[in-house]
Amino acid sequence: MTASPQFNFAESFERLEGVSHTVPTEKAAVSTIIDIINSKQARCVALAGLPSSLAAAIAEGCDGIKVLKSPYPADSLPGAIDEADVGVAGVNFAIAQSGTLVETATDDADRLVSSLPRTYIGVLQSNNIVDKFEEGAARIRHILAQHNENLVISFISGPSRTGDIELKLTLGVHGPEDAHAVIIES
Amino acid sequence: MKKGRYPRLYKEINDALVDRSKSNALLRCMQRGRDTRAATLKTLPGGAAFRDDVKRAKARCIDNLPRLQTMFVENARKRGVTVYEAKSAADVIRYCLKLAKERGAKVLAKSKSLTTEEVELNQPLIDAGIKVVETDLGELIIQLVDEKPYHLVFPSVHKMAPDVAKIFSKATGKAVASDIPSLMKVVQKYLRPIFLNAEIGMTGANIGVAETGAICIETNEGNGRLVSSIGDCHICIMGAEKIVETIEDAMLMILAHPVSASGQLPTTYVTWMHGRNPLGEGAGRNPRESHLIIMDNGRSAMRDDPQMREALYCIRCGACMNVCPTYGIVGGHTFGHIYPGPMGICWTAGVHGLEKAADFAPLCISCGLCKDICPAKIDMPHMIAEIKHRDAQKNGRRTSHHVMMGADKAAHLGSLTAPLANYALNNRPIRKIMEKTLHLSADRTLPPFAAVSFMKRFKTHRSKVAQPTHKAVLFVDVYANFNNPELGMTAVRQLEGLGCQVAVPRQRAAGYPFIAYGDMDRARSTAGYNVSKLAPYVAQGFDVVGIEPTATYCLKESYPKLLNNVARARELADHTYELFEYLIKLESETGHRAVSASLSGMKFGFHCSCHQRPMGSGAGAMEWLKRRGAEVELIETGTCCGMGGTFGLKSGPLGHKLSAAVGEPLFELFKAAKIDAIVTESSVCKIQLAEGTGLDVYHPLELLLPKNSA
Repeated sequence: MTASPQFNFAESFERLEGVSHTVPTEKAAVSTIIDIINSKQARCVALAGLPSSLAAAIAEGCDGIKVLKSPYPADSLPGAIDEADVGVAGVNFAIAQSGTLVETATDDADRLVSSLPRTYIGVLQSNNIVDKFEEGAARIRHILAQHNENLVISFISGPSRTGDIELKLTLGVHGPEDAHAVIIES
Repeated sequence: MKKGRYPRLYKEINDALVDRSKSNALLRCMQRGRDTRAATLKTLPGGAAFRDDVKRAKARCIDNLPRLQTMFVENARKRGVTVYEAKSAADVIRYCLKLAKERGAKVLAKSKSLTTEEVELNQPLIDAGIKVVETDLGELIIQLVDEKPYHLVFPSVHKMAPDVAKIFSKATGKAVASDIPSLMKVVQKYLRPIFLNAEIGMTGANIGVAETGAICIETNEGNGRLVSSIGDCHICIMGAEKIVETIEDAMLMILAHPVSASGQLPTTYVTWMHGRNPLGEGAGRNPRESHLIIMDNGRSAMRDDPQMREALYCIRCGACMNVCPTYGIVGGHTFGHIYPGPMGICWTAGVHGLEKAADFAPLCISCGLCKDICPAKIDMPHMIAEIKHRDAQKNGRRTSHHVMMGADKAAHLGSLTAPLANYALNNRPIRKIMEKTLHLSADRTLPPFAAVSFMKRFKTHRSKVAQPTHKAVLFVDVYANFNNPELGMTAVRQLEGLGCQVAVPRQRAAGYPFIAYGDMDRARSTAGYNVSKLAPYVAQGFDVVGIEPTATYCLKESYPKLLNNVARARELADHTYELFEYLIKLESETGHRAVSASLSGMKFGFHCSCHQRPMGSGAGAMEWLKRRGAEVELIETGTCCGMGGTFGLKSGPLGHKLSAAVGEPLFELFKAAKIDAIVTESSVCKIQLAEGTGLDVYHPLELLLPKNSA
């Protein structure tokens, strides 16, 4: 193992206007996620890349809310996911130094779940946080060794932003205006 | 002389000086870019040291580009990507048109790609009946008004919210409020159907990874993710120079790029595409395509040209734009062809032709700040000098450039004829004639010439150092020799007072104007001459001490480069010091203090000349003043005072007028500071600051002289 970490993921992510939630269990994660969904008065939620138990628990917690999950029928896309107000997606690993969530996808439906809805929630295990940015390289090489064909890796560091009008920081121009990281302690 | 070049520049500079609104917005943007970069560097372990890593990585990758490109192409193909290696802009356009027509595409959504702007791809596609929509907000704004980027990173920085509201009112046919949250809703609504319905998504790539065949796309808005995931056909267009070897190299660039651009660490989204993903499952699945166009368009020729090769290290961060003094006033439409800013000159020369680059290269005042901020440490001033040189060989030179490159000879003549020359300098009608004929601004207060030059005075000087602990050559340059020999003699006395033997061998003026105006033959011969005269002293254990920052910079930075890093030039550079840096070193090594007046109770605002920045930012002079009891504050805007060596001495828009406009923010800072006087070591910055602020401006050594001779 490396020396004690220099950086704190939550601090870095929140500096980028993201919101970080550290929870003790998968069960607590579900209730945090449901709280966010309810606070957004979401009518439709899309899920991707989550362990099936977690996906099932979230779906169960979504009372009266439409829940979309894999497999996404190709002929319903991209419109179906565009309907979602919240996207909840699994995170492969995260980088503390830069506040980056790293998502892997072999189906672009999964990428749409984290990029079309106004609210994004990334879910990860705390032991999958690396400290320094450069440590990401070895992780990426490791992931690629398991995928010989198509694979898209996405770094997500906070909500969508622009400064293109008068340099004023504005969140959520195309992608999510709210970005949450739910970290399950492992 | 190429017809129309200067009239256009004069007109556009004059326009920019009349209506300052765009410039003011741009200057705010540049300042913020510099400030956020500096703040983030403080949090980065190693600070600005990443620049060495980037330079090394880019040098390695460009050296090995043919091999890496082959590897990159093979690995991308293994993951199902269709790769096309395009030679020219025309090839790229032809390929994209064919693809779009074969697929019957009606809508093409683009995320920001400078490479597509380089080849001017949009218009041919639009002419073929395809709706081409830029989805990066800044790019969309300028697309809707058919303009080119004003800034590389913030293309629409010159449009204020009310302008943007008007643009979207016209585009949507509905009234649009000009507050930013409302504007964002309009933009989202305008673009969402484009994202969802575009058959083709087109992106650039910030990086290609040879090891894995990946392309990396960096965006903040998230438009790159949508564009690359929805349309069934994805086209990525990238310049071959973006290829790096390893994932580690890519990670380095992903940090270096946004840190340099805006102090981000990294951009909000980085998409690493390895091949193309399917979209959804089941019967309705469409075949998905991924086309990667790797474009040469002049890059191989740049790589083969030793003077231009470094341009390929550019990662398009735009940091050079954020420090460029003249760019800040005139903006990217004047200071640019398609690629704006300092690096824009180099890239325009490489991909759009020498003449187009030379059309705006005269705006470069050769301050060197771009080189100091560049994450890949690209020597832009040197490259731009080469571009000016090549253009002058074809198209000739302006009178004013000849005059400024002959400034040392003129100063020599002025010294020989001092009473007459000084009369002329102070005679308005004569100065007006000089302005007309020599293009030397009549409104500049120039320092008088001394009848007996420093070189002559030093010949009769007898050293009092019996047992020297150090030996140094004084490199005098123009001002201390012909205008202010007493300054040179004071420097000698200071050095001798600390036990240092001083020699002044034959030497020429440093010759930086040859670089600034692009006469590389004379720049090289001057460098060769001075190295041949000074290097033998270095070989005998002498150090070399410069009194004028730009002249010292020539010895340390320019000469080795001009002389292909020959050992003698390198050794000379390694043993060259700024005067005060050296005096402080002597004081520390000998434990003595040279006799000097006390400056306690005085407060000075220090001005660091641009060429001093890479040599320690005037730390030696400030320390020297502090050791004499003065209070010293470094006062700076982060860019140039506007003088740019001899640039501001020239008359007209491309000289004094532009120079004064650049200096204004700095003048205001000095005027607002509670100081007794300004101190600077540069003889030309001194003229600019005295005129711009009305305050007294001194060289540090002048503070030791009796008042009337200062």
